[in-house]
Amino acid sequence: MKEITGVEDLRLKFPGTDSLLLKDFSISIKKGEKVLLLGPSGSGKSTLLQVLTGLIPNSVEVPMKAKRVNIPKSWGFLFQDPDTQFCMPYVDEEIAFVLENLAIARDEMRHYITDYLKQVGLQFEDIHTPIQSLSGGMKQRLAIASVLALEADVLFLDEPTAMLDPTGTLEVWETVKKIGENKTLVIVEHKIEQVIDFIDRIILLNDDGVIVADGTKKEIFSDYKHVLVEQGIWYPGVWEDYLRNRSSPNETNAKKPIVTLKEFDVYRGKEKKVHIKDLTVNQGEWITVLGENGAGKSTWLLGLMNLLKTKGCYQIDNQDARRLSKLTDYFAFVFQNPEFQFVTNSVFDEIAYTLRLQNWSEDQIVRKVETLLARFHLQPYAKQHPYHLSMGQKRRLSVAAATVMEQPVLLLDEPTFGQDARNTFAILEQLQQMRNKGTTIIMITHDCHIVKHFATRVLYINDGRLTLDCLPLQYMEEKQQSLEV
Amino acid sequence: MPFELSYRQTWLHKINPSFKFLLVIALFIYLIFVDNPNLMVNYAIGSVGLYFFFTGHPWKRLLLIALPFLLVFVTSSTSMIFFGEGEETLFNWGLVHITKESLFRGLHLGIRGMVFAILGVVFSLTTRPVLLFYSLMQQLKLKPKYAYSFMAAIRLLPIMLEELQTLRHALKVRGAVGGKGIRGFYEKIKAFAIPMLSQSIRRAHRIAIAMEAKRFLNVNNRTNYYQIGFSKFDVLLLLYFIGVGVLAQFASVNFPYFGIEDVRVIG
Amino acid sequence: MSKGLKLTDILVTIIIALIFGAIYKLWGPLYGIVSTFGLQLEQLLYGMWFIAATVAYLIIRKPGVALLAELAAAHGEFIFGGEWGITTLIYGLGQGFFAEFIFASFRYQKYNMVTVSLAGLASGIVSLLIDVYYGYIGDLAMWNLLMLIGFRLIGAVIIAGVFAHFIVQALEKTGVTSLVRPATSVDYDALDQ
Repeated sequence: MKEITGVEDLRLKFPGTDSLLLKDFSISIKKGEKVLLLGPSGSGKSTLLQVLTGLIPNSVEVPMKAKRVNIPKSWGFLFQDPDTQFCMPYVDEEIAFVLENLAIARDEMRHYITDYLKQVGLQFEDIHTPIQSLSGGMKQRLAIASVLALEADVLFLDEPTAMLDPTGTLEVWETVKKIGENKTLVIVEHKIEQVIDFIDRIILLNDDGVIVADGTKKEIFSDYKHVLVEQGIWYPGVWEDYLRNRSSPNETNAKKPIVTLKEFDVYRGKEKKVHIKDLTVNQGEWITVLGENGAGKSTWLLGLMNLLKTKGCYQIDNQDARRLSKLTDYFAFVFQNPEFQFVTNSVFDEIAYTLRLQNWSEDQIVRKVETLLARFHLQPYAKQHPYHLSMGQKRRLSVAAATVMEQPVLLLDEPTFGQDARNTFAILEQLQQMRNKGTTIIMITHDCHIVKHFATRVLYINDGRLTLDCLPLQYMEEKQQSLEV
Repeated sequence: MPFELSYRQTWLHKINPSFKFLLVIALFIYLIFVDNPNLMVNYAIGSVGLYFFFTGHPWKRLLLIALPFLLVFVTSSTSMIFFGEGEETLFNWGLVHITKESLFRGLHLGIRGMVFAILGVVFSLTTRPVLLFYSLMQQLKLKPKYAYSFMAAIRLLPIMLEELQTLRHALKVRGAVGGKGIRGFYEKIKAFAIPMLSQSIRRAHRIAIAMEAKRFLNVNNRTNYYQIGFSKFDVLLLLYFIGVGVLAQFASVNFPYFGIEDVRVIG
Repeated sequence: MSKGLKLTDILVTIIIALIFGAIYKLWGPLYGIVSTFGLQLEQLLYGMWFIAATVAYLIIRKPGVALLAELAAAHGEFIFGGEWGITTLIYGLGQGFFAEFIFASFRYQKYNMVTVSLAGLASGIVSLLIDVYYGYIGDLAMWNLLMLIGFRLIGAVIIAGVFAHFIVQALEKTGVTSLVRPATSVDYDALDQ
């Protein structure tokens, strides 16, 4: 088989960084291969894909040189973020954009558009459908449809499911598998459970962007598993491996009610979005809130924080929640996107921010912040700008900063979303420790493993209503049954 | 309109967007030089007619959108009414000195501000941005690079507004940002601007790469999904405004509302 | 590398402009309420209308960006039915041109607070010139006119100059600006280390 894409002796450096990201890097990919690139974030995998397609340096100016870059004749690129792949507001217009670029005649466009949509399993009554109304998984399949419109032989996929829920992830990989059969695939991904069965070659990079291993998946899994663990890759069986080494089991102890809701409604504008008939949250519980996207999970949490208009009975610790002078003395809140919570220019200041608002003495502040930095493994970065941290570090910082006052209740909106395995486990352990000290945790998630192994109670929200309130085991059984039916 | 509202398609929607755009600008320039309040009132009636009868949106919504027009009226007129120069005093109280001249000049400004506002809203209620940019590319030779950038950016607006809301919540949870005075004002702007700007710059950057990955800039002979042409409705709109112009002129001479023909020279 | 605006530059500029456009939109009601008092105090806030140009220029540092930003902000407001309608387009064009003129007179080599303050000032001046025609401001009582001019120019310098400078400085610390700034020869030389 002959090479379809590759690079030889690549050197590349991002402006303003101290060292080369890739140094004398070579790779060669043959026609028809299905290749998975694995490596820690920052090892240069995404950058490599952009070099192989010529996006670097043609579209993005990054200083680089190479003895030879082999850009395939026809290629397509699937990016990570479903919201930044499109430039048009409607499904048909987006695919038409590609067809326009290829100078396809106007009267043939509709035919092509319907055809490509069908290939990725998207069917609409009217192809003039707003992209914004699609789920993440559907958006990514639309992106695949536009790649098909390019008639590409080589597909580059840059973590296309990193921002999707389990359903979306499955949809996307099923589609890729279907349309990719006769194509060359170069995939970067760290959630590899669904990818692994149609991959035939794995290339493993390390922190310095050097290839540590290159072989079949069997070789990699048997010989390099320790590297996968180290790098936080979501390989099949990672949960089992983690649970084997885990110590603290989850048991409920105290039964003191901390939050009580009766006929509690949350509004967005004039619209009633969530209605909770009767709910009591007890101290020390770890509650996972489940439900489809848009069911009202986040709305409910925002309502509990008094950030949205609410009606009905709402008590915290037997006091009317709306009369409390400061709800934030009781509740800590961790938003889905950590960056929105950052208000200062350094990791240290970020944790100290609330303490300073509370007029703590500088001595006390230093002591407290140092403790938290240590607990969340952030000491080396104390002086860094929060935006410079990695995904996992940002998440840990947002939890540290939000919980600095040791509030009795912690609300989290998908805290493990988009995190690698190592960081997910690290966050979960932190939360477990807090719970052991009596903190009550209410957390939105899509991850059944968390429900099964950490939660003490499951709330399922469907269309703004609480449809299920049970133990995790019961939920898992019911889910199992519904799958079998 | 960007945020999908339901409405009835009217002939105003079928007008060539570039033509509509240029016509509105031409009217703007012309109206700047109109100093006769009688004429201005008549033009206001003409624009209001277009707004209420031909945009195809329900009355309730139109009335709601029209509320800020009153604010435009008030803000464009008050300084002039209260503090404008003039001879014939109507009211005097401290610094406030209302004269006949300043009153009429102020009212004239207020009405004109409203006419501009109405014309602008008529345009935006009856024009899909995507079609406007296709038309600008086809009729006015706007470079695709700019047109598609605009369309991509507009697509991001609802996402950005949602983010702004989240950011508001997050800042509220973290506690007060900024104090009083000019420094506090700056801190407040900064607290919003930094996360919004950095998110959006990264997004814009990624979209640009994605567009080029779809071979956006490689071509000179692009085809067009929408072909925007001209129709009889373009003539209709032109006739409407010529009609309004003639009637306005005629009525202002024969049936004036005020005994003033030029708000710049009164008396 | 070519000197013209790349797709990224254009998209980033337009987005920046639309963000400030959205802020204008939130600004609108506030501006209206203050201005009904007629004492011209609202003019202190007027500088918010010029800030898109200076911020975009400080971030991207290329010719044409300031003009494009003002036009995009105005255009954004226009197609979304802002209550000032077409008026904004004319003002945007004038303000963008004058800001651009200031940057050009420094040959696009200066990115400091003084330069952007001057650009803000220039935008303020042109907006006043348009006002003479559009708002008859020449017919205001002298004391009132002087207040209007003074407040507007002060506001322009503080917001479009000083604030813009500090905002971009804070933004640089986040590292995001490196995405749009061209690489230097130092970076290219480093490849051979």
